[in-house]
Amino acid sequence: MATGRTRSNRRNQRARKRRADRHKNKKLGVMWILILLAFTGLSVRLVMLTTEEHDEYLKKVLSQQKYDSKTLPFKRGMITDRNGTILAVSEKVYNVVLDCKVMLANEGSTQPTVNALVECFGLDRATIMDYIEAKPNSQYYVLKKHLTYEEVQVFETMESMNENIHGVWFEDEYIRNYPSGTLACDVIGFTGTDNNGTFGLEEYYNDELNGTNGREYGYVNDDSNIERTTVAAVDGYTLQSTIDANIQSIVEKYIVQFNEEHKDYYREGLGSTNTGCIVMDIHSGEILAMASYPNYDLNHPKDLTAYYTQEEINTMIEEETYYETLNQLWRNFCISDTYEPGSTAKAITLATGLETGRIQGNESYECPGYHTVADTTMRCNLRRGHGILDVSGSLEQSCNVAFMKMAESIGESNILEFENIFNLGLKTNIDLVGEPRTDALIYNEESMRSVELATTSFGQGFNVTMIQMISAYSSIINGGYYYEPHMVNKILNSSGDTIENIEPRVLKQTVSATTSQQMLEYLNAVVAEGTGRTARPAGYAIGGKTGTAEKVPRDKTNYVVSFLGHAPANDPQIAIYVVIDEPNEEEQDHAYYATGIVRNILTEVLPYLHITKTEDMTVAEQQEVENVLGPGAYYVVDSETGELVDAVTGEEAEKTDSYLGEGTAQ
Amino acid sequence: MKEQHNRRRNAYKAANGHFDFVLLIVVLFLVAFGLLMIYSASSYKAGLDYGDPAYFLKKQLLSTLIGFGALIVTVRIPYRLWKELDLWIGLVGILVIPLVKIPGLGVTANGATRWIDLNIVTVQPAEITKLCMIIYLAAVIAKLGKNIRTRKGLMIALIPPTIAAILIYAITKNLSSAVIVMGIAVAMLFVALPNYKVFVVSGIAVIAVVVGVVLYAVSGSDVESFRLLRVQAWLHPEDFSTDKAFQTLQSLYAIGSGGIWGKGLGQSMQKMGFLPEAQNDMIFSILCEELGLFGAITVIFLFAILIWSCMVIANNTEDMFGALLVVGVMAHFAIQVILNIGVVTNTIPNTGITLPFISYGGSSIVFLLIEIGLVLNVSRGMREQ
Repeated sequence: MATGRTRSNRRNQRARKRRADRHKNKKLGVMWILILLAFTGLSVRLVMLTTEEHDEYLKKVLSQQKYDSKTLPFKRGMITDRNGTILAVSEKVYNVVLDCKVMLANEGSTQPTVNALVECFGLDRATIMDYIEAKPNSQYYVLKKHLTYEEVQVFETMESMNENIHGVWFEDEYIRNYPSGTLACDVIGFTGTDNNGTFGLEEYYNDELNGTNGREYGYVNDDSNIERTTVAAVDGYTLQSTIDANIQSIVEKYIVQFNEEHKDYYREGLGSTNTGCIVMDIHSGEILAMASYPNYDLNHPKDLTAYYTQEEINTMIEEETYYETLNQLWRNFCISDTYEPGSTAKAITLATGLETGRIQGNESYECPGYHTVADTTMRCNLRRGHGILDVSGSLEQSCNVAFMKMAESIGESNILEFENIFNLGLKTNIDLVGEPRTDALIYNEESMRSVELATTSFGQGFNVTMIQMISAYSSIINGGYYYEPHMVNKILNSSGDTIENIEPRVLKQTVSATTSQQMLEYLNAVVAEGTGRTARPAGYAIGGKTGTAEKVPRDKTNYVVSFLGHAPANDPQIAIYVVIDEPNEEEQDHAYYATGIVRNILTEVLPYLHITKTEDMTVAEQQEVENVLGPGAYYVVDSETGELVDAVTGEEAEKTDSYLGEGTAQ
Repeated sequence: MKEQHNRRRNAYKAANGHFDFVLLIVVLFLVAFGLLMIYSASSYKAGLDYGDPAYFLKKQLLSTLIGFGALIVTVRIPYRLWKELDLWIGLVGILVIPLVKIPGLGVTANGATRWIDLNIVTVQPAEITKLCMIIYLAAVIAKLGKNIRTRKGLMIALIPPTIAAILIYAITKNLSSAVIVMGIAVAMLFVALPNYKVFVVSGIAVIAVVVGVVLYAVSGSDVESFRLLRVQAWLHPEDFSTDKAFQTLQSLYAIGSGGIWGKGLGQSMQKMGFLPEAQNDMIFSILCEELGLFGAITVIFLFAILIWSCMVIANNTEDMFGALLVVGVMAHFAIQVILNIGVVTNTIPNTGITLPFISYGGSSIVFLLIEIGLVLNVSRGMREQ
């Protein structure tokens, strides 16, 4: 019994357990189904997301990717003079940028980072903290611009030593630097950080000087993956200008000297309204120097304080004439400003006469001091008259009456035709910006009557630019070849390889070689015997023509005085043209303001160019040259022997002279 | 012949028990796959923030090794031992939660104090609580037997997990862990009790409450509570694209952009700073982006096998305590997988919850492997099928 009871008990227990198992297993099955249902539901949701929304979400993902494309700036090309002296160069600088978001994301990095910034770059802590507080999500806060590599290095060393500095990076930039400041400012022009040249070569050759920015970027490839690529920047081309920095600085020195001497001399203000000078190689059209006054510092083109007080500048800003004044300062007087050339044009008139055969050279003209054309009486520059003059004498004395008579025999059509041949009224196409149209500034068949013909003969009534005049003049004396004036010799790439050589371009033959030779003699006589005497530098014979043009209104107050000449006299190499607009004098109508500058310039430039002296010097002249150049400075290297020789006599220099490095035992 | 065969089989079983290798292989696969995905999802950010792309991988690898050590230990200790310690274990499960409030021990991250710092590792007490509650409930239900059907029995079983859930929510502000603890308790009771009525009724009640809350949130009342905003963000993620729903939207973009076959392992774009917690709560969306729907369904399938294995073990274990242990673990995995995938697909409102074995999280992987150890231990005592 007992065993039966225990057996039945056990059976009961087992049965109970089985019952419990049964419902447990049933419940587990229900739970499994519920879980499976949930899994299925989620899978369906996933199927929906990955199929229906695929295209749209893929687009969203791609569109919110920052490709982090970063511009790698190119380096703008240099501008050098003909000998490689750097006139303009771009230098790499760095801008400090703070990424507030990154800095704040790294806990405990705000203080060390700001401390380092304040310490390295002298920044104002309060300003930075205010900014961070105001814009904690800003990722591009430029703290300071244009730092040098050395300044950046200090910070980077500090950053590498302190791991709590975060969110600071440096952005590359190039700034334009003009090592010579004001030198050749009109020719070079200037460029800001935007790599856009303003005026001069910088503007004319903007595309050549600029390179192509590089880029570091990510892009999405065919498999929708992000790939990163760097395309290096291509640096811009370097320009080798025809300018010779030495000649340029000599020219500028004397222009500035004249203007400083004449500052506030007669009227309050500058020594002249404008003074311009061009020195040109007559056998190639290359410009060796081109300068005008007033000038400006290319590194600070907007700085007017050299000429105006701060009050005046403020007034200008108020009256909105500030930029007008700046433009006036920036424009290149030598190519952009037009004026009546005055007597320098007589060279053109005479050359026209000779070339057309209307003047043979044996004519003589009587000058009573005035000449009447179509009821208009025009005075000669000498009121009492020059008397009887031959052709050479007419040019030497710059007799207006003789030239009016010449023009009558040459005729209107010839004058107009040769104005065209000499490129007056046309652009010279010099490689600089700002050359104006002048076709309306000279007479044409309709507007030229006998009075206009008469005034044209001595350079009044029509307008020219300096570059037109000197180009035409060069062709008269170089055998008749009209070269296109140009400023750039060579274009090089950033590694210094020549990309393009700019060869001299002869555009046309203006006069015959015979005419040219005859003109040379006449022009040499002007300096040797006539009005141009004061232009002659010690030791050299030169030729040229003075000019004194009365400005409108014709009230005998304001003049443009000038000298247009060549050197040396019999084998001309260079042409020089100096124009002074309204010299600050009581009596402005004296060409010797211009010839004085020419004389000074040539005294230095001709020995520099190794042009052998053609004339003996008097003791006084020797002294004068020594004063200008220093003792022995007129020795030049003989091109054949390589020895130092006296520029005047051609004698070998004494080797014991202390200034000679060679052969001097120390 | 047959007898001989059976004898040989029994001899084999005596030596190896009914060790469930399928379960172990699935777990090993999930863990290895998880490490791979952690590396893929975290290397970009780890490289940026720590200078070492494998930073998170190395930490997780260490935790995983510790976890397997714990698993081996758990498999060797007979599980019945825990039954005797039920009250103590339940007490530990509750008392461990307030530890986060002890200064110097609690760790605060992302605005919540959920971890305790044990110098070497940080541990989330909620993980411990979940394990403790599973053991406590299994032991109590098994001991009570029929008495679990009485009101008193229910109280004994339900009160400790309820306290634990309330503490987790009140102290660590961790709603999802609280929900998981309660979910485990309910699932275990569901299996232990023979009737359905009470569960169906309370299920309907819960659904009614949820619908009510959603309707309340939709009605646009100005009560801008954190959780109500979450509900709003869940329903209209586009309207909250910059803050509340940013993570959710980025997760959806990741899943959607992956398509059927994915962009390829390691090719996720969303992990590059767009998807916050890419290696953590949101690892499943990176998985979808890189391996596509195919990879996602495969992982879900693996979890289904894992849960199926648990169910088979529970079904075939005569011992009520062992069976309920397995049910608890199974419920834990199921709830966490469902909630995690629900969050990343925006099927339910966003709440911080990890994907078992795959998400990054040191203490989590250790306790998950201990739970697997328990299941394997139970499986050794399985009756013949």
